[in-house]
Amino acid sequence: MATELQTTPEVGGMGHSVKRKEDPRMIRGQGEYIEDVNLPGQLWMDIVRSPYAHATIKSIDASEALKIPGVLAVITGADLEKAGLHWMPTLAGDKQMVLPTTTVMYQAQEVAAVVATDRYAAADGIAAVYVDYEPLPVIVDPHKAMEKDAFVLRPDRAPDKQTNHIWHWESGDRAATDAALESAEVRISEDIYIPRIHVASIETCGCVADWDAVRGQLTLHMTSQAPHAIRTVLALVSGLPEQNIRVKTHDIGGGFGGKVPVYPGYVLAVVASLTVGKPVKWIEDRSENLQADSFARDYHIHAEMSATKAGKITGLKVKTLADHGYSDAAADPSKYPAGLFNVITGSYDFPNAFVEVDGVYTNKPPGGVAYRCSFRVTEAVHAIERMVDILAHDIGMDPAELRMKNFIQPEQFPYTTPTGWEYDSGNYPAALQKAMDMIDYAGLRREQVEKRERGELMGIGISSFTEIVGAGPSKDFDIIGIKMFDSCEIRVHPTGKVIARIGVQSQGQGHETTFAQIIAEELGFPAADVKIEYGDTDTAPYGLGTYASRSTPVAGAATAMASRKIKDKARKIAAHLLEAAEDDLEWTNGKFTVKGSPDRFKTIQEIAFAAYTNHPTGMEAGLEAVDYYDPPNLTFPFGSYICVVDIDKATGQVTVRRFVAVDDCGNIINPMIVDGQIHGGLTMGFAPSLLESITYDELGNNQAGTFMDYLLPTAVETPRWEVAKTITPSPHHPIGAKGVGESATVGAPPAIANAVVDALWHLGVRNIDIPLTPQKVWAILHEKGIA
Amino acid sequence: MEFSGAVDIPAARERVFAFVTNPDKVGQCGPGVESIEILDPTHFRAKAKVGVGFITARFVVDLEITEQQAPDMAVITARGQAPGSAVDAVGRMDLVEGAEPGTTTMRWAAEVSISGMIASVGARLVEGTANKMIGQTFDCIRAKIVADS
Repeated sequence: MATELQTTPEVGGMGHSVKRKEDPRMIRGQGEYIEDVNLPGQLWMDIVRSPYAHATIKSIDASEALKIPGVLAVITGADLEKAGLHWMPTLAGDKQMVLPTTTVMYQAQEVAAVVATDRYAAADGIAAVYVDYEPLPVIVDPHKAMEKDAFVLRPDRAPDKQTNHIWHWESGDRAATDAALESAEVRISEDIYIPRIHVASIETCGCVADWDAVRGQLTLHMTSQAPHAIRTVLALVSGLPEQNIRVKTHDIGGGFGGKVPVYPGYVLAVVASLTVGKPVKWIEDRSENLQADSFARDYHIHAEMSATKAGKITGLKVKTLADHGYSDAAADPSKYPAGLFNVITGSYDFPNAFVEVDGVYTNKPPGGVAYRCSFRVTEAVHAIERMVDILAHDIGMDPAELRMKNFIQPEQFPYTTPTGWEYDSGNYPAALQKAMDMIDYAGLRREQVEKRERGELMGIGISSFTEIVGAGPSKDFDIIGIKMFDSCEIRVHPTGKVIARIGVQSQGQGHETTFAQIIAEELGFPAADVKIEYGDTDTAPYGLGTYASRSTPVAGAATAMASRKIKDKARKIAAHLLEAAEDDLEWTNGKFTVKGSPDRFKTIQEIAFAAYTNHPTGMEAGLEAVDYYDPPNLTFPFGSYICVVDIDKATGQVTVRRFVAVDDCGNIINPMIVDGQIHGGLTMGFAPSLLESITYDELGNNQAGTFMDYLLPTAVETPRWEVAKTITPSPHHPIGAKGVGESATVGAPPAIANAVVDALWHLGVRNIDIPLTPQKVWAILHEKGIA
Repeated sequence: MEFSGAVDIPAARERVFAFVTNPDKVGQCGPGVESIEILDPTHFRAKAKVGVGFITARFVVDLEITEQQAPDMAVITARGQAPGSAVDAVGRMDLVEGAEPGTTTMRWAAEVSISGMIASVGARLVEGTANKMIGQTFDCIRAKIVADS
């Protein structure tokens, strides 16, 4: 399919690097982001936030704020409580405050909202709201939260849940894994912390809530990755009829999981608009975004692994503490409180595995979003790839050789893991071999030996990851009860032009281009003739949105299936026009031809015209189809990355000298866009490896509240990526595609961390937690007497 | 954050004590203080403009002299807020006779908790800024006592 092009460049089906339809408006500065939405009579909202991470609210005095010209209203938790709106449900089945009535639970938590005629008056208004707080003790460390004498952070929970322990989740066979570990020739263990980070989209969150009292219509313009789910939640919580709620997204400046949850700001803007009867706009600033929006990761992992002396792995046992902040507001599918973390056996043929995770409350913002990662897969991949490297070094085997020896082999697919996943397809040795050939692995190892003799620090790190994306099959996957299908509706116009609407939501992925290419591939309409729409719940078919690399695996499949329904009808129309039996027609290059009579054919455009002008008697006019696709399984993209680092002995600075990324995402729709996804993903994997993390001081103050302390890589810091592909189609996906948006974010960090530890192993370094900052590396070098 | 130090002042303990427990006097030396309101002999409210790095915030701080033994010691607690930031502090000073007759050594210690935006955004600058402000405050106190005499 993607290996052999089925369409011409003019048609631009799968495998063509069609230029992005989105780019002309983006590069001209004519994209429409939430800040660009301005409605007549619009008011502004700004939010008073708590300076304390844990405190009692003794009183709130808004009188001075209300004296400021332009300030119209101040909304507090007490106001919301009257309508029962001071708490709201989270996607994870917990609840979080919209505004507190008695207690604030994290620094920067929303405390009150000020509505004003313009942004400046709103900002002056929040400065004039006086809140009298009584500070309370703070729990920052999740281990301390689990101690017996720890005070209970959430006394609002049921009497049998008066602890800081939220849930326990486990997977695999504990007894068999214990037996494997106990009888092992080699047994290793390690504590690995995956730090709290933030998606830090360039566009922060925001909305314009527009309540039209006369029409009884609520329109919510917002930054959301899942507009339909928002509409349903709004209907259920507000009691407004769902047909009178319209959620509309615009161009979204990055989502990465951070725009899946419902934040209090959205709810407050809706409440404000319902109260005042005018449109109300709320836009977060950068510090609010970094301090209060959903975080990602924050997993404290303890892993044990067993193997034979010859390097055959036999067991994996993992115990993890998950810091969720004061509320579990993760956006995981209902049955998976720790996401798909039990994919932690990775690319290896483990006979035994057992994984357990405990969720814990602390005085931090709620969340646990899948930051460019299919539900906790980044954490899993980092842990297993680090463990495999530690094992290799411990037994004195080359890390590439150990991986080759333990990979699930191509003939073992479909392969069932000890934690219950059925991997659809893969060829792991081919991907690793390709990466090794590209980077001259043997040559690098020789160079490393020479450099080490000269006292220079050079390391080589491998990551051979397996992703798990495309949630998901309805038997296991839902969010707040809504099954995780997705959808496409295609309408072919009489002139042979097409509009298609999809249930997923682009945030920069290029859906307007790639989904047009799927239709071009299936039906032969040039991709240029296919308009893709999404993000307006009044017109798009119901879908669960875009995150966890699910757009191509689920809505992409729906698009192919809807196209095939259209093709079935087109065949009937063609048979009518050509006065031939349907079975006598064959489909090639966008036309139906009578077998054996190459001159007798009808193009898809001619058929489209006939669907409205000359359709067969007894057939409905028109050429339209809709498909709601329920995937039979998830898809399992994979890849092998190799990273080479040099470490400056004087400063601890890590430089990524080379980074080769071989990805396999099944059949490829648009190679240019896939490369773009991988470049962006690698950069977002590089970032937490070396630069980014959110830490808290002992009072619970976020120590990364601006881009001065939360270090995003720019083009200056970012290495040059060398990318390549192998192609192993998904056997169950209609177009053999697997999804690629997150592979690189997931796969890159362990390659970098493995390279750094590889450079320092001879000094007695077994593990360093990311981010591998110069301070951290220098401290180790200093301790070892090197720096 | 904990801070402590000692400062020599060329004046008798009684004068030093009177100065530092008089909000009108000592208030002039508080960093960025714009006004002092005396609520009662042991309760004051100060408004002060404080800059940490690129952030400037206007704090309203309630101060209370929670313990005092003239001319030996005093303890002051403070709780203040600026939009998005808060400060909680306890300071203790002990006045002892200086090495030279008629001089005083002021030994002081303070425990300061800073929360919210200033702690978050200015984290790396807070301690240095606080040290600088404390130094300026004591320089000012000494200079004013000397000038008064």
